[in-house]
Amino acid sequence: MSVPIADQITDIVRAIVAEVLAVPAGELATDTDLREVEGTDSIKVLRLIARIEREYDVELEDDDVFGVSTIADVAGVVRKALDG
Amino acid sequence: MTTLEHPTNQHYDLDPRIFGLFLGESRKYSSGWFDTGKETLDEAQRRKMDVVADLVHVRPGSRVLDIGSGWGALVLHLAGVHGCDVTGISPARRQREYVEKRARELELADRVRVITSPFEDATELPRGLDAVTALGSVVHMPDLQAVFAKARGLLRRDGRMYVSESCFRNAATRARFDRVDGTDFVRRSIFGNGELRPLSELVAAAEDVGFSIETTLDLTWHYHRTIEQWSENVRTGAAALDAVRPGIAAQLEHYLDVSNAGWGYTTKHYALVLRNAR
Repeated sequence: MSVPIADQITDIVRAIVAEVLAVPAGELATDTDLREVEGTDSIKVLRLIARIEREYDVELEDDDVFGVSTIADVAGVVRKALDG
Repeated sequence: MTTLEHPTNQHYDLDPRIFGLFLGESRKYSSGWFDTGKETLDEAQRRKMDVVADLVHVRPGSRVLDIGSGWGALVLHLAGVHGCDVTGISPARRQREYVEKRARELELADRVRVITSPFEDATELPRGLDAVTALGSVVHMPDLQAVFAKARGLLRRDGRMYVSESCFRNAATRARFDRVDGTDFVRRSIFGNGELRPLSELVAAAEDVGFSIETTLDLTWHYHRTIEQWSENVRTGAAALDAVRPGIAAQLEHYLDVSNAGWGYTTKHYALVLRNAR
């Protein structure tokens, strides 16, 4: 499988975040802190990570799972996992 | 202290009808066993109880103690299907009344006995047992080593103990999550004094009291599937649940959601078979 380029990963991550956190994708900047989005909690962020792991068939490191805070962070660790 | 005064967790002393509405016919409040994932909840729970019976090698006439016997699913199954002589122990008085009634209805009263007490304090327990089981109950007991030592003391030589428990995934996860909102919510509203530990602590406590560790099983996926089915029952039975206790459906759904989101990330569910042997 060819590795998707960074922008594609970011767009897909943004779409998944929008769906799981139930906010319009247009309101999500790549530097939005996911835990600061209204109505979000740590459980929703965890569910989001689980969804992204399934989407890309990767397992992120614990420090990444619990350390990411923005869409750009998530896209970055997904890219790292796909490259690995 | 009278049996009415045991400081059990409020959650388990809720109206038994609530549990009947989402746990299925057995009211078994622990993981099922899904060979395919397509089984119904009741099938998976019966299969699980047969798996436990096999793991502790019971036969007709075997004498068993079930610690944290709840609404008696395993007690009644071991007595009714496997012909065992079973004592259950639980601090929740309502649970004993329910199990004794079911035992009479099933004509198992001569093989089933239920004690209302915390296990740690109980003095009138049977000894020389063939098996002890504890499905999701040691999480409520702060001194794990004392619990294992006491259980081992009740077993005959070569008798087995089955313990299943939700665990933190490892020590680092425990350090990170022992004091966050989701964990606090579960502890406060459900567990009372619940203490999740990593598997390594269960193993260490079992070793330290002299058990041999015969089997370790990862039941995480089975529990995930079980909770999916409980959640489905809460959603379809929400009106009936709220009629018994207004607001309970939303609280249960949140609890089950939090639990299922964490499997594999923060939590695991393991079973251990411990043997009283060298």
